[in-house]
Amino acid sequence: MATTPAASTTPVQAPVPTERVGPPSRPTAPLRDISIMIGGQGGDGTLTVSDLLGRYFHAQGLYIYTARAVLSRIRGGHADASTRAHVEPVWAQKPVQDVLVAFDDDAVKVGLKELDPHGFVLADQGSVKTEGANIYHLPLSITAASKVGNGLYKNTVAYGALSALLGFDVAAARGVIEKRFGRRGGDALNFNLKAFDLGRDLVKEAGLPTPLFTVAPGSAKDHILISGNQACALGFVVGGGRFFSGYPITPATSIMENLDKMLPQFDGIVRQVEDELGAINMAIGAAYVGARAMTATSGPGLSLMTEAMGHAGEAEVPLVIVDCQRVGPSTGEPTRHEQSDLLFVVFASHGEFPRFVLAPGYASDVFEMTVQAVNLAEKWQIPVFIMLDNDESENTQTTPGFDLSKVHIDRGKLLRQEELDKMPAYKRYEFTPDGISPRSVPGMKGGVSQTTGNEHDEWGHVSVNPENRRKMMAKRMNRLELAKPDLPAPHLWGDEKARIGFIGFGSTYGPIREAQRDLKEKGVPTRFFQARTLWPVPKEALATFLEGLDVAFVVEHNYTGQFARLIRQEMPEAAPKLRSLVRYDGLAFRSPDLVHPVEEFHARSR
Amino acid sequence: MPEVVKPIPATWCPGCGDFGVMAALKNSLKALSVPTEETVIVGGIGCSGGIHNFLDGYGFHSLHGRLLPTALGAKLANPKLTVVAVGGDGDGYAIGMGHFIHSLKKNVDITYIVMNNETYGLTKGQPSPTAKVGFHGNLEGPFDAVLTALSVSSAGYIARGFSGAPREAAQYITEALQYNRERRGFAFVEILSPCVTYNDTYQLWRQQVENVEKIEGYDKSDRAKAFSTVLQVKERGKIPVGQIFRVADGKGAPALDKTLLPMVERSPAATDISLEHNLPKYQKLLASLG
Repeated sequence: MATTPAASTTPVQAPVPTERVGPPSRPTAPLRDISIMIGGQGGDGTLTVSDLLGRYFHAQGLYIYTARAVLSRIRGGHADASTRAHVEPVWAQKPVQDVLVAFDDDAVKVGLKELDPHGFVLADQGSVKTEGANIYHLPLSITAASKVGNGLYKNTVAYGALSALLGFDVAAARGVIEKRFGRRGGDALNFNLKAFDLGRDLVKEAGLPTPLFTVAPGSAKDHILISGNQACALGFVVGGGRFFSGYPITPATSIMENLDKMLPQFDGIVRQVEDELGAINMAIGAAYVGARAMTATSGPGLSLMTEAMGHAGEAEVPLVIVDCQRVGPSTGEPTRHEQSDLLFVVFASHGEFPRFVLAPGYASDVFEMTVQAVNLAEKWQIPVFIMLDNDESENTQTTPGFDLSKVHIDRGKLLRQEELDKMPAYKRYEFTPDGISPRSVPGMKGGVSQTTGNEHDEWGHVSVNPENRRKMMAKRMNRLELAKPDLPAPHLWGDEKARIGFIGFGSTYGPIREAQRDLKEKGVPTRFFQARTLWPVPKEALATFLEGLDVAFVVEHNYTGQFARLIRQEMPEAAPKLRSLVRYDGLAFRSPDLVHPVEEFHARSR
Repeated sequence: MPEVVKPIPATWCPGCGDFGVMAALKNSLKALSVPTEETVIVGGIGCSGGIHNFLDGYGFHSLHGRLLPTALGAKLANPKLTVVAVGGDGDGYAIGMGHFIHSLKKNVDITYIVMNNETYGLTKGQPSPTAKVGFHGNLEGPFDAVLTALSVSSAGYIARGFSGAPREAAQYITEALQYNRERRGFAFVEILSPCVTYNDTYQLWRQQVENVEKIEGYDKSDRAKAFSTVLQVKERGKIPVGQIFRVADGKGAPALDKTLLPMVERSPAATDISLEHNLPKYQKLLASLG
């Protein structure tokens, strides 16, 4: 973590327990917050175990947050996943692990550093050589190979063993397998159920005490477990989005994959095209003829799309562009977490044109704001960006079921044929008080028009007339001011009277909310400004927020403190109160990363 | 009916080959009685790309090299439209080359007209991808789009005309639009269109063009024969023109828009996106995530 000036030091890591020797002492009360990490080689099925655990805890009414590849400190094919379950809402990874499932020694080596002193390791005997008082070796893969007939079932054997060690409700734990594999047909379900039972038997045969500890049940009802990308795809469909073109890129691809399953049911189309140039221009073509269109990409693809962003801006074509941020520049770290595209997205493409940049913070926010984004694009006839980030895109989390009753479709000044028929003249770029011109689309009689990336007059004819240029610039640029009441308002969290604030966007929502909870327990009240519109900068709301504060920590995943810079640029008067808190090592903040600097500040200011 | 934008007079140099192409396109649209409101002309960047300003119909001026994905997006979102993409050889074969190949591959029902003048006219005469070696110091061999198109297995309609022979050019365009209308796929028509200012090749090309359809035994539905004939004609120092390839009726790759949207009325642009209309299906979709 670095404080202002930004990026001068390496991130502070969460305090981690050191390796211990001696008999472990297990928690006696059921855990209210558990995190289970599963590590192994790619292909070991770590994600399957993580998924089954998530589904089980979800069914138990707990709040879930799952993350994949949470550790990156090992080279080679190491892959890991973690599942966190909490009786209260969670939006981020737990700083420590309670259980580690290890399919190889690398997983033990890495995972032990994160293991809580009360935790234990379930290790695959034969694959894991490391010994220790709290490491239990069970022949997971050997059993899977010899008794199920395929070593790959070791993941479900492990799930079965965990269900015994953690005192799961057996019927519910089996039910999760039935739900997950039942649809596939064939032997998948039976083999997995068998593997599950074998896992439970292994624990019994080893004479391990069961349960080692248990997990408290929760009361989350009617919740769904979903990733940000899934929520984005759903929001697009429900918001009336019917055309998507994209090019595969991590971590955006699953938006396309999800839409590919959904859109054909609604007369929609998903096309995977030759490159990101094709993707954005095809979406522009579709939007031009009246379909609600979107493309999604990550940094490298976004770089290729820049020219077309300006084209949509100048031609006034409604378009939604999703940027699932990852570590950059160039190829960077494709599977890692960062929020370093912010300034790029705000200023990308040559020339000047209006755009809105939105940043939802959690799955249901992604859903709502994607609906909003397609409406905003069509209403204001400009490109709208949705910024996600790697963890938000890929990690799943528990979220309340989406409320469809709040959804509305606003097509702005898209004309109906009968409205067009009554107009004396139709000009695509007619000057109007709000700068938005009525819009006809090809196929509509009497609405024939010219749509162009050249500067143009009201008719769409190319024009270099200086007066026309001034008026056209004002017509477009005024939207940044006029649209403000329409743009997603920030969410404010925490204590209204607090003197210490956080400002953040995207998935930092999670660690910030958790840090607030932890700080409250320590007697340090805080307020959190969750920025949901990043451009135009929500100046008025920020000014009000900053009024009662001594300091606001601007929390973001990049080196240079981009959001803090943007706020300083737009509101120089706010600068003295802002402190950058950045992390740029590819991993997400965890609560202690944010708690420490705030505590320090709090102690100093007393 | 409201008053709408009027086509402006073409801004091309007097005698430009593009006039012939425009006349041909105009006549073709007229011959097929394509309603103005269902006509979408997507222009690229360069002299030829301004054509949408000079014609009746919905016009879209796209980015340099990106007219094809834009046009495909328009057609895929509303297959009822007649979509014609028109650009130059620099636009299509240099900066937009990737899209050209992939559009042949995608096989969407649009007509793509390239006005080939072997130069970048608007930027004052630099060699284009089709320029001969030696033209303005060009050191690179010329690219032949017809041969490339023939090599893409889904390409079903390939023609090359000459703006000095506008009647034939119009015939190729008319048939291309008809081919689209029958939902048979992408139609590619290159038209040799001399740049009178920077590469005046009228006289030369008039002597060089050779209509392959007039060669005895030519079968335009035979891809291999078309390929070898085009090569042979070129080797004789001639320019092969004509309806070079047309996949036999009942054969050929299916048009992508037809596969995706068998009923033109039910398209991304035309479908009812209201919440009321879709609510039961949305609820079902959400429930499936449980």
